[in-house]
Amino acid sequence: MALTVVPSFSVSGVWKRTQFPVSTESQKPRQKKAPEFPILEKQNWLIHLHYIRKDYEACKAVIKEQLQETQGLCEYAIYVQALIFRLEGNIQESLELFQTCAVLSPQSADNLKQVARSLFLLGKHKAAIEVYNEAAKLNQKDWEISHNLGVCYIYLKQFNKAQDQLHNALNLNRHDLTYIMLGKIHLLEGDLDKAIEVYKKAVEFSPENTELLTTLGLLYLQLGIYQKAFEHLGNALTYDPTNYKAILAAGSMMQTHGDFDVALTKYRVVACAVLESPPLWNNIGMCFFGKKKYVAAISCLKRANYLAPFDWKILYNLGLVHLTMQQYASAFHFLSAAINFQPKMGELYMLLAVALTNLEDTENAKRAYAEAVHLDKCNPLVNLNYAVLLYNPGEKKNALAQYQEMEKKVSLLKDNSSLEFDSEMVEMAQKLGAALQVGEALVWTKPVKDPKSKHQTTSTSKPASFQQPLGSNQALGQAMSSAAAYRTLPSGAGGTSQFTKPPSLPLEPEPAVESSPTETSE
Amino acid sequence: MAAASSSDSDACGAESNEANSKWLDAHYDPMANIHTFSACLALADLHGDGEYKLVVGDLGPGGQQPRLKVLKGPLVMTESPLPALPAAAATFLMEQHEPRTPALALASGPCVYVYKNLRPYFKFSLPQLPPNPLEQDLWNQAKEDRIDPLTLKEMLESIRETAEEPLSIQSLRFLQLELSEMEAFVNQHKSNSIKRQTVITTMTTLKKNLADEDAVSCLVLGTENKELLVLDPEAFTILAKMSLPSVPVFLEVSGQFDVEFRLAAACRNGNIYILRRDSKHPKYCIELSAQPVGLIRVHKVLVVGSTQDSLHGFTHKKLWTVQMPAAILTMNLLEQHSRGLQAVMAGLANGEVRIYRDKALLNVIHTPDAVTSLCFGRYGREDNTLIMTTRGGGLIIKILKRTAVFVEGGSEVGPPPAQAMKLNVPRKTRLYVDQTLREREAGTAMHRAFQTDLYLLRLRAARAYLQALESSLSPLSTTAREPLKLHAVVQGLGPTFKLTLHLQNTSTTRPVLGLLVCFLYNEALYSLPRAFFKVPLLVPGLNYPLETFVESLSNKGISDIIKVLVLREGQSAPLLSAHVNMPGSEGLAAA
Repeated sequence: MALTVVPSFSVSGVWKRTQFPVSTESQKPRQKKAPEFPILEKQNWLIHLHYIRKDYEACKAVIKEQLQETQGLCEYAIYVQALIFRLEGNIQESLELFQTCAVLSPQSADNLKQVARSLFLLGKHKAAIEVYNEAAKLNQKDWEISHNLGVCYIYLKQFNKAQDQLHNALNLNRHDLTYIMLGKIHLLEGDLDKAIEVYKKAVEFSPENTELLTTLGLLYLQLGIYQKAFEHLGNALTYDPTNYKAILAAGSMMQTHGDFDVALTKYRVVACAVLESPPLWNNIGMCFFGKKKYVAAISCLKRANYLAPFDWKILYNLGLVHLTMQQYASAFHFLSAAINFQPKMGELYMLLAVALTNLEDTENAKRAYAEAVHLDKCNPLVNLNYAVLLYNPGEKKNALAQYQEMEKKVSLLKDNSSLEFDSEMVEMAQKLGAALQVGEALVWTKPVKDPKSKHQTTSTSKPASFQQPLGSNQALGQAMSSAAAYRTLPSGAGGTSQFTKPPSLPLEPEPAVESSPTETSE
Repeated sequence: MAAASSSDSDACGAESNEANSKWLDAHYDPMANIHTFSACLALADLHGDGEYKLVVGDLGPGGQQPRLKVLKGPLVMTESPLPALPAAAATFLMEQHEPRTPALALASGPCVYVYKNLRPYFKFSLPQLPPNPLEQDLWNQAKEDRIDPLTLKEMLESIRETAEEPLSIQSLRFLQLELSEMEAFVNQHKSNSIKRQTVITTMTTLKKNLADEDAVSCLVLGTENKELLVLDPEAFTILAKMSLPSVPVFLEVSGQFDVEFRLAAACRNGNIYILRRDSKHPKYCIELSAQPVGLIRVHKVLVVGSTQDSLHGFTHKKLWTVQMPAAILTMNLLEQHSRGLQAVMAGLANGEVRIYRDKALLNVIHTPDAVTSLCFGRYGREDNTLIMTTRGGGLIIKILKRTAVFVEGGSEVGPPPAQAMKLNVPRKTRLYVDQTLREREAGTAMHRAFQTDLYLLRLRAARAYLQALESSLSPLSTTAREPLKLHAVVQGLGPTFKLTLHLQNTSTTRPVLGLLVCFLYNEALYSLPRAFFKVPLLVPGLNYPLETFVESLSNKGISDIIKVLVLREGQSAPLLSAHVNMPGSEGLAAA
């Protein structure tokens, strides 16, 4: 045993190496022959402590000293130096150092893992996979290897292999990150249900992870399962009351239900944390719009538009608000800009047509309606508005065709769900039906019961009689209702517009779902 | 000291519900020159006089002057140099005899130095690691000169490739050598026995057989070769040896060695391994997704701080997670015996020390500098003292008020404060409102006027573009024979400028020959040495800078345009042209 009892010591406790009689004796004769080698790992603990405290400057100083002393043999010092290089963005250098480590101790799976990680960060996914496979030979029970292999396969678009590896990782040890990646694969493949399954399991495993909760909530929102969506988003907010994504999503749901004040209070939290978020200002703008504070709405939407000039949803909302303000010329510009970014949406053309009608450009309005009818498959308002436009100058025949088209859509919608139609739309349709002498078509079996739920914005503008040409306010009422209906359609354009956006959408920090024009509902 | 205390109490008042802080500021010395980790702090009644001292294993500024410091009150009582950097300090009772003064153990390099009454008492060294028998054999052969250096190198290489444990440093050094140096190295070192020595990375104490506060304790050491050792408190023999899959960084022990104990070791691979008395290997493992920066046991819960700025609570499974506002630098246990409170203190990089009971925030202390090590306990004659050292080497001592009660909640519950703040909605001006009204009145006319103007604009743009194309006014030529690109740079303040034309042949294969450059300018304003010159052969893809000097003749600060034309020999229409806007001359024109 290396027990050394030291008999006599100076009182002050000064402790020098030479004061140990045993070690002095053993050292002296040897020193004549060969110098003593320093212990390689002498300061590894110190390097590690500095590293985990993110005190990289101190860490580098110790590493340098240690490498000088050991002539570059201290593997851990090189290893940490490489880690620091990687954190600083010098990935190529880190790769070289990790390779040095792998040479110094070829049996270590960890070194190979880091080599692969650096390769991965350099975008060399195939090479990374090869190295990971090497590492897996040395250590078969490492979830990290399986997980990272899975991620590499995702980037190589080999989703089946990626899934296998990620399931492998989950079997070895469950980590939130693996669930997230697995969910991402399902989303990339467009399989929402499977993604939800994965995230459900993940939430079970780690019930306080706000990212998981928020993502699951957003997925439910996409599928229109509002109860569950709200539940998960609410949970996320309980754990982290300042979660940006969750607040935006929950706020947009509140807006859908007309709780503008509550939504605004929530948005204040985000407004402090993330000052320059376009979706946030879009939603705030639409809250003000709902509260009939139009100037504030325009201010906020313009800020959103300034922050994200290419977001058609903001432009759509701006167009809508300007229509409400009877600023048709401005509305025209915003709407035509929106159409330039999103040329496949019927509602946009309809709003454009409304603007054009009010700008007394009937020819172009008709064209816009034609395009809208062509693109839109399920919104009866498009046809109704078109029919009204056609009816006014006397094109009864075409108007009738549009009216029938609208009836078709209405009955289709009613078969699919039990949603209520906007009262004003129903009223207008009935008047038009009477004027066209189509008989009291029985599509509107469910008259609106609750007058309070009417859209307040339109209350200022009741058409005096139907025989007169449509007043501007009337058209506006239509537009408003269209926006309202836009949301409530279960599988309508709202849904598809979200799906057609770039691939990895729901997991990106960009809260695309909630920035959708759902908020346009007043 | 005074300044610091006032600012500190202000900050605490804002944090806690009471108007004043829970802490008394006992001492603050920003120049105390103590640089250490929480593991190297220990509080103990070293002389058995009821006066608790602070033991600091000080690394010194930049880790250059390791010292053992013992502080009494605000003053350093004794200070002695150490042979190597201290990795951990601990105080423990070695035997049952009276007076029951605790011994001090200091882990440093491969040794534990044990002091009693602040006098050196024992030095325990880690046993040498067994060398690889094959390697040993090779060196023995070398000693008897039965193997030549080259073969030795090859054999050692093959051992390194395959063996589980690393080679001795002697062999590793040898493998690095050039051919010419090998012989000498072997001769110099062949008589040495090869050695492998490991070092201590962490140390803690474990009660031997009684759970009492003042029971005899064993030292538990974590070593660089992934082992845990338990030492006998009296004889310093190794009582137990356990192996880990990675190098231990932090240890946390509960129980008694002779009865039953649980050992948690946070390791460098980011995992925490749990061991029991009867296990040589970890019972189970908690995998973190980041490196642990601290490990504290509070009752049955292991609280881990990770490099992802969060605190996690674990038993067998993850219980909770709390996000920190900044990176965690150090952690330690706060134990208030009088109220039976156990909480975790975490020193953060933003100069806060946060105290948590489970996931509930109890208190926030703001310090003038980031705290890098802290410990809590009896100091001097005061029971609840918090000792902190800062990144800059400062020392802060605070005493918990006897009336202070930690209450959960405070700032953390309820809506975040940002919710009460007003939204910064941009205001609209009177002008905006007026314009809105105007648009409502004359929207149609505005729209029509705009559309008309837009068509006109498009028409003009198209015309101008066509004209430019027809007269080669653009700096790009896309004709099949001479695809060229030109751009010009003007340098200088004047009156003499340097005009550099960058001419590039953008065709993929064909070189261009026989081009001319011509400058058109107002001769009253500028003079150029050559207004017309030939261009050398243009190799495809290369950028040719053609330089010429321009002298401004006007002293009135007038500037003008210089037109650059690139022509083909024998053709009068230019291939391309550029208009160079000359800057005004800032220097004095030549008189």
